[in-house]
Amino acid sequence: MRPTGLESIRAIQAALADIIVPELTSAFAQDAAGAVQMLLESLAGDWDTAAEDLRRDNEALSVLLASSRDALDRALPGNKSLASTVTDIENRLREIQDDSLTLSSLASRNHALGALLERILVAFDDLTGQSGYEKVDGLRRDIYVHLRQVATRGWSFWDVSSFRERMIAVRSAAAEDDARGAVR
Amino acid sequence: MAISALHRIPGGFSRETWSFDARWREYGREVHRGFVLRRDPDASLLVTDRDVEFRVMDAVAVHGVPVPKMYWLENDGSALDRPFFVMERIDGCETHPSKVLMDPRFFSARDRLAQEFVDILVRIHAFDWRAGGLASLGVPASEAGCAIGEIQKWEAVVDRDSLEPQPVLRAAFRWLRRNLPPPAQRIVLVHADYRTGNFLCNSEGEIKGVLDWEMTHLGDPMEDIAWSCMRPWRWLGDEKIGGLMERADFFRSYQQAGGFAIAADAVRFWEVLGNVKFAAILLTGARSFCDGRTRNPLMALVGRNVARLELEIMDLMGV
Repeated sequence: MRPTGLESIRAIQAALADIIVPELTSAFAQDAAGAVQMLLESLAGDWDTAAEDLRRDNEALSVLLASSRDALDRALPGNKSLASTVTDIENRLREIQDDSLTLSSLASRNHALGALLERILVAFDDLTGQSGYEKVDGLRRDIYVHLRQVATRGWSFWDVSSFRERMIAVRSAAAEDDARGAVR
Repeated sequence: MAISALHRIPGGFSRETWSFDARWREYGREVHRGFVLRRDPDASLLVTDRDVEFRVMDAVAVHGVPVPKMYWLENDGSALDRPFFVMERIDGCETHPSKVLMDPRFFSARDRLAQEFVDILVRIHAFDWRAGGLASLGVPASEAGCAIGEIQKWEAVVDRDSLEPQPVLRAAFRWLRRNLPPPAQRIVLVHADYRTGNFLCNSEGEIKGVLDWEMTHLGDPMEDIAWSCMRPWRWLGDEKIGGLMERADFFRSYQQAGGFAIAADAVRFWEVLGNVKFAAILLTGARSFCDGRTRNPLMALVGRNVARLELEIMDLMGV
C-alpha cells in the first residue's frame, strides 16, 4: 500500500517542518514540535525493521536461553536454586512458542524472554568465582554481545550529538564485521 | 501589581517553567522586574521536592554559588492549581548546549566557561551544609554509605517504573554493588545534575546561574564529577567533558581549584551509576506517558533512548 508507513511518517515530518513550525510563535510550542519530530524520526528509524528485529532478537534469545539452561545444568549439578532456574527456562521456552508476526505478539514474547535473560545474568553473576563458572563464562559474554547489538539499533536523538562519534565507531565496526563475513 | 509577558519556557522537565514580567509601585516609584515561576507538573521525569530545591538555592547563594535569587515558595496548590515557587529571571544569558557550545558568539569564551564550570563546582562542594541549615536534606549514615544509598534510591525507581525487563540495568546494579568506591572523602552538598545545559551563561563565558537543583542531596563529591563527565552531556559528540574540556584537564583543574582528590576508579563507579540513574529517569518519563499521566511527546521520546545509555553502561562496566 502506498504511501507506505515510512513514507507517511516522512510526510508528517515535512508538514511539521515546512508548514506548522514556521507558524508557531511560542518557543515552548516550537520545542514540543521538535520533540515530536524526533519521536517521528525514532519511529521511522525502525519502522521497516521492527518486526524483523524482534523476530531475530527472540530467536537469538531463545538460543542463548537454551544454551544457558544446558550450561547451568552442567555447571553445578545439585544446586537447588539453579535447578529451579533451569526448570523455569525449560517451561517458559515451551510456553512462549508463538508464530504470530504482529508487533504486539513479538514484543510480548520478547518481554518474556528478556525477563528470563535477567534471571540468567543474575545466576551467572552468582556463580562468579565458583567452580563451574568457566562453563558459563563464554555464554555470559555471548549474552552481552547480543545486548550490545540490541542497544545500538534504531535512531536516538543522541546519535546526532553526544553519541555521534561513538555510534560512528559502532557502525563502522559492524560494517567491517559484515564485510569480513561476506569475504568468508 | 501588573503581570505581563507570561509564557512557558522550554525545558525544566521536572517542573513547568514560566517567565513573566511584573510591574508594581514601591515607596512611590515604579518597579519592573522579570521572574521565573516553577510549578509542579502533572507528570514528570522526576519526583522531587520543590521545598528542597528552593531552600538549597536560597542557601548556596550566600556562599558565592551563582543562582537566581529565590523569592516565594507556595506549597499550597490552591492559587495556581499546583504548588510553585518564584525566582529571579536572569536575562541576557543562554543555557541550551546548542547555543553555549555551537553558537560562534560563545566560541572565544569556552576556556573561561570551562574554568567557571570547575570553580563553581568546587564552591558547591566546599559549602558548609550544616551551617547552611541543610542537614535536613538527609545525612548519609557514613562516608561509606553514600554510594549504597544512591544505588538503593535508583534501583527503587527502576523497580517502580520499568515497563519491560531491564537486563542491562539489573546487571549494572549488581556490578555497582560489587565495585563500591572508597568512602567519600567528605560528605558534601551534591548538585546531582551539574552539567552543560544546566547553567545560564553569557557570551563572555561567565556563569550567572546554576539551575536544576531538583536532585540535590548530601553525598560523595565524586558523584558530581562523574555526572559532569557522562557521555550524554558531551554534546559535541567527541570525548570532551560537557563539550568544554578534556577529562584530564577537568580533573586537574578541579583539584587545583581546591576540590577533592579524584580517583579514576571512583569516577568510573559513579559514571556507571550516573548512566543507570539517567536511564531510571527516562523510564519514569516513559511510565508517565504510558500510564496516561502526560501527553508530553518528550516523555514518549525519552523511553526510546534508554538503549544508548545501556551501551554506555556496558562500555563502562567492561562487558
